[in-house]
Amino acid sequence: MFITLSLLSAKLWPLFADGISTAVLAIAALALGLALVIVIVFHFFSVETDEREEQLLEILPGANCGGCGYSGCQGYASALASGKDKTFNRCTAGGAETAAQVAAFFGQAPAAYVPKVALVHCQGSNEHVRVLYQYGGSDSCATANGLYGGPWSCSHGCLGFGDCVRACEYGAIRVDHGVARVNSEKCIACGACVRACPRHIIKIEPKYTDLYVNRCANPDPGAKVRKVCNIGCIGCGLCVKNCPAQAISLKEKLAVIDTELCTHCGKCASVCPAKSITVGL
Amino acid sequence: MKALFMILFSVILVDNLVLSKFLGICSYLGLSKNLKNAMGMSVAVTFVMLIATLCTWPIHYYLLLPLGLGYLDNLVFILVIASVVQVIEAIIHKSIPPLYRAMGIYLPLITTNCAILGIMFVNINESYNFMTSIFNSVGAGLGYMLAMFLFNGVRTKMEESNPPKFLQGLPITLIASGLVSVSFFGFKGMVQNLF
Repeated sequence: MFITLSLLSAKLWPLFADGISTAVLAIAALALGLALVIVIVFHFFSVETDEREEQLLEILPGANCGGCGYSGCQGYASALASGKDKTFNRCTAGGAETAAQVAAFFGQAPAAYVPKVALVHCQGSNEHVRVLYQYGGSDSCATANGLYGGPWSCSHGCLGFGDCVRACEYGAIRVDHGVARVNSEKCIACGACVRACPRHIIKIEPKYTDLYVNRCANPDPGAKVRKVCNIGCIGCGLCVKNCPAQAISLKEKLAVIDTELCTHCGKCASVCPAKSITVGL
Repeated sequence: MKALFMILFSVILVDNLVLSKFLGICSYLGLSKNLKNAMGMSVAVTFVMLIATLCTWPIHYYLLLPLGLGYLDNLVFILVIASVVQVIEAIIHKSIPPLYRAMGIYLPLITTNCAILGIMFVNINESYNFMTSIFNSVGAGLGYMLAMFLFNGVRTKMEESNPPKFLQGLPITLIASGLVSVSFFGFKGMVQNLF
């Protein structure tokens, strides 16, 4: 048997000894070997991807902004798919539409979605605050903040060097007369500016057209605030007394409006002597 | 050792993969917009360069040459690189998920990247030995990284400027990358005098 086979192969071998046959056989053997390796590796290293996670990722807008509180769309999708997170309206970039789609994906009625927007809690533009010193450093709020608390008199106000402008990937912020302003049309409330602001005066607020908010972040007593800015909250408490919904409280000497309790009656803005409570975005 | 450093120096600066060999232009233009993506891609390219060299060099010298099939490099290398990248992707996906998320998405892109294949041919054509080939490949990857890093800076500046309308977008990008490339030719005279 063996002898016949070897005789046969010895007779057949010259047929394959030419260049083309060697080439074909060698490449075929190599390809077969590689295919085998791939099959084996994929058998041992196959990762079970959750199909629902992929589908959810399709629904999410893919902005990877982190507005939902996860590291990106992938994180939120995986938390949703594994059932760890049952809140469907976390995506700020996609808004109500995405929230409804995600809820529909899980076969549930869309939850109420309040669009959100970033808001700068300062209106101390150049004409409202004094200049303390001539700042000649780099155009960065963080640097300026580190140098004697910035060149402006108020140590809680907007520095106006635009760290938030650079952080915003959607071009929604610009600096106007030394104060950053958010364009609520472009803002997706991802929170990049909130993290970038060295003074923490940008906050994410619900996007109501009649949002009442105290646009000041200075918790100092009135006399001190008056010295540094003529539009800052003096902590007089008039708004607290006049609010029919008890939505306003004083934090140190700074009026803070609870947007969930606010009934948008407008009393606070009308009684505010410093005009630091404003309406609208 | 001196020869190895010379190879490393010249492949990063003088014969830069992107800027003087004009390989891997596609990913260079596509991914240099964002520094994070650019670096992810560069690390992936360097890594695959190394792995591909470890596979293709022995295959050329110990399999193809003894059989007299040196002319089949082209076909075989494409096959080998594609398979190896697939295998590595699967292994990384399973065993190091964070690395996969950072680098994995670029791996399929590299499977058919001309830069990898190009450097494999350089290794063979220049008759580099195994160690030199590895240095050459890793150096080419680092050169790619340097080009990506530099050009990302140029692009960031360019986005803030306002070129005439007929130059906006890809045209100005290509012109700028041409200028970056020209500036790299300045390294040509350096390598002989340095080593």
